[in-house]
Parts: sequence; C-alpha cells; structure tokens
Amino acid sequence: MGIHQKITGLFLLVSTLIYSQERPSYFQPSLLRASATIAPTRFYTQQTTVALINGFVEYALENRISVRGEANIMAPNGKLLYTNSPEKFPRNFISIYAGFGYHLGKRNWKFDIHAEPGIAISEMAQQPFLIVPVSYQWGVSPSYMLKVGTSFYFSKYCHFFAEINYSNGWIRKTPLTSVSIAQYGISAGLGFHLLTKKN
Amino acid sequence: MILFAKIQNQILSYLRYMKGILLIFTLTLGFCFLSQADRKHTPAGMLSLGGRTTVSLFNDHENEMTGTGVGGQFRLRFSDAVNTDWFFDYITSDILNYAHRTDYHIGWSVLFYPINNLDYFRQKEEFKPKFRPYILAGHCFDYSKIEAKASPLDGPMSAERWSSAVQAGLGTHLELSPRFDISLTGQYMIHLGNHIETDYDFTTGALSFNEHKGASLAGHVLVTLSLNYKIAKLWGFTRR
Repeated sequence: MGIHQKITGLFLLVSTLIYSQERPSYFQPSLLRASATIAPTRFYTQQTTVALINGFVEYALENRISVRGEANIMAPNGKLLYTNSPEKFPRNFISIYAGFGYHLGKRNWKFDIHAEPGIAISEMAQQPFLIVPVSYQWGVSPSYMLKVGTSFYFSKYCHFFAEINYSNGWIRKTPLTSVSIAQYGISAGLGFHLLTKKN
Repeated sequence: MILFAKIQNQILSYLRYMKGILLIFTLTLGFCFLSQADRKHTPAGMLSLGGRTTVSLFNDHENEMTGTGVGGQFRLRFSDAVNTDWFFDYITSDILNYAHRTDYHIGWSVLFYPINNLDYFRQKEEFKPKFRPYILAGHCFDYSKIEAKASPLDGPMSAERWSSAVQAGLGTHLELSPRFDISLTGQYMIHLGNHIETDYDFTTGALSFNEHKGASLAGHVLVTLSLNYKIAKLWGFTRR
C-alpha cells in the first residue's frame, strides 16, 4: 500500500471517528472554558514581533453569547524579531481585556467573534536617547482587542481553538512621541472546558 | 484659611449647579413611573452591566489630538421609554508631542427611546436582532491631568483640575439577544468650571501651564462603543 493510500485511509478513519457518533453539543450555556498558550504577535507600527503568553477564561451565558477575560504578558526576552531602537519599545508589557463573545455554528464546531475593551500596562524608558543608566516608568493605557477564531469541541473536557486578534492603543508616558501598540497576533492550542450547570 | 474658603466656595457653587440637575432627574423619574402604570410586561428595573471603548474627538484644548479610552458602565432601566447609564471612563490623549492628557469621567446619562412604540419593537414569539435608537443627556464629574512629555531635572511637570460636565447626543443599541446588546453613542460633552491651558514655545521648547478659573464652554465629541448584558431585574416583575 502506497503512502497516498495510507494518508487517505487515515483521513477516512479520523472522519469516521469524528462524525459516526452522535455526540452531544458540548458548547452550552454555563460552559466554562480556559486555556493558556504562546501567541506570536506583531507590533506592526514598531516593526517588532514578540512572543506573548496568552491566557483566557470564558463563560457561555447563552447559546451564542459568552463573557470572556484574558491577559497577555510579554515573555522574558520575548522579542523574536526586532528592527527598531530599544528606547521606543516597552521593556515590559502586559495587557488585560474583558468583553463578550458571539458564537456562530452548530453543535461542536464554532466560529467565534470577540470584542474586548481593556488596558495595556507597559514600562518605558524615560530618556529620549540611550543614556546609561536608563530610567524606566510604568504607565497604563486604554486599549481594545478584536478577535475572530474557531473552536472544535471534541470531548467533554477538551477543545481545540485557533484565533487571530487585533488590538490597538497608545503609550503616552514617553519622553517623545507616543508609542502605538497596534498589533495583530495568532494563538492556537488545546483548551479545557467544563459544564458548570446540569441541564 | 484661604484654602478652606476656596473649598467652601467651590462646594457652594457645585451645590447651586447640582440643584438644577437633581430637579431634572427627579422629574424624569416621575415621568418614567407614570408612563409605565398601565403596562403589563415592562422592562423597568432591568439592570445591565458592560464595558466600553471611547474615542475623544475635536477637543477644544489647543493642539490636543484624538484620545482613546476604556471604561465600564451599568445600565438601569426605569420604564419602557427611559433608561439610564452610569459610567466610568479613563481617556488619554496627546497634546502634539510635548504633553499628554488624562481624563477620568464618572457620571450618568438618561436615555430616551423616542420611537419605542413602533410595531418593530414589540416583543415577538421568536427573538430577532434589532436596532433601538435613543437620545441621551446627562452629567458627569471629571478629573483631568496634563503632564509634560519631557521632565525637567527638578521632577515631572504637570497640572490638574476637577470639574463638572454635561453631555448630550444620539445613539443606538443593536440587540443581538434578549439580554445582550452592543451600543454606539455619539455625544458632545461640555466641561463647566476651571480649565487648564498649555503654552508651548516651539522655538525654545519651553512649556507652561495656566489654570483659568470660572466657567468655560470647552468640550469634545465622544464616540462610545459599549457591550452590555442584562444581569438582573430589580423591580417591575410581570403582573398576573
């Protein structure tokens, strides 16, 4: 049996396992889900890509509506690709969002849209040019996040998710022009869920 | 003693100003309760909780640029046609590249639904998403702080003030489920009271702050997008 036949057979087997059983719908009101993952994120106005550690908790209020809170923390030495001057990018960066989600799709495969107002907490150098020792200051900036994604609930306790997010804001506590934190990123992985109320 | 007299004057002027607002608020409440007397299924007493994002445009402050903000609100409905928003906003903006401004707003708005009696808004067996436009007006207290970008050697340079404001505008809810809505509001907010002016010399780079006392009609346009979820019904349960 050639490799093509083996791959086709594997696909058939997996699809049979997924669709042959009449599974209950796991996404229901009172479903609580959470996950943590690493989210590569591009601060496109700063030409900088960083690794953010992303974690979220979400609770389904209705069949289509959920409330969600999430946080992103810039990983230590998390700058993956960096082409700008260090004084123009935060040394530390944390963002916290809380908002609502809207879920489309039937049964266990959902398309999700999220809108979440929030804040970005960042530590910026306070000298316009590199002077040693550099002084830093923390600041809190308003921000928001928009997110689209998809989730597949394959068991009573686990699901896969993949999301693309866009968020924006300005760090004003800077010695020169304010720094834009406009960014887009991706996150994907294994999530865990639990129905908190019995039907 | 001078400081005490200043504070006393400030409080007295606020009380005089607040008397008018309280009168309007009491009358509004009275109309709300009267208008719902003959209704069986009333949304009165519905409490919503939500988050919001605000953009501040056309600021009166010289050289102030578009601001962005975040906040939260709860919404308490008094009758079929009248709702109220109780909000908090944290807004930051730039004054070119020589200073930045932070505003904290805490206040309330009355929302009036002028076309709520149309057949389009009647509760049907099956829910369908719908727009619900409204007119709003209200009042808020605000704290503003303007800080220089480049700190002089003797420490950060800033000026701050407390003031009061009134706002009015238009908006619409997009009701996506019986309990969840997205609301878009555009309103003009006029600040009443002391205001701070910045003088910047573009040749020397010297910045100074001047505080002006007394009423001035400095204001800005606020565009707010909020997400709200009804969490409780505090009164007005359906009568048998």
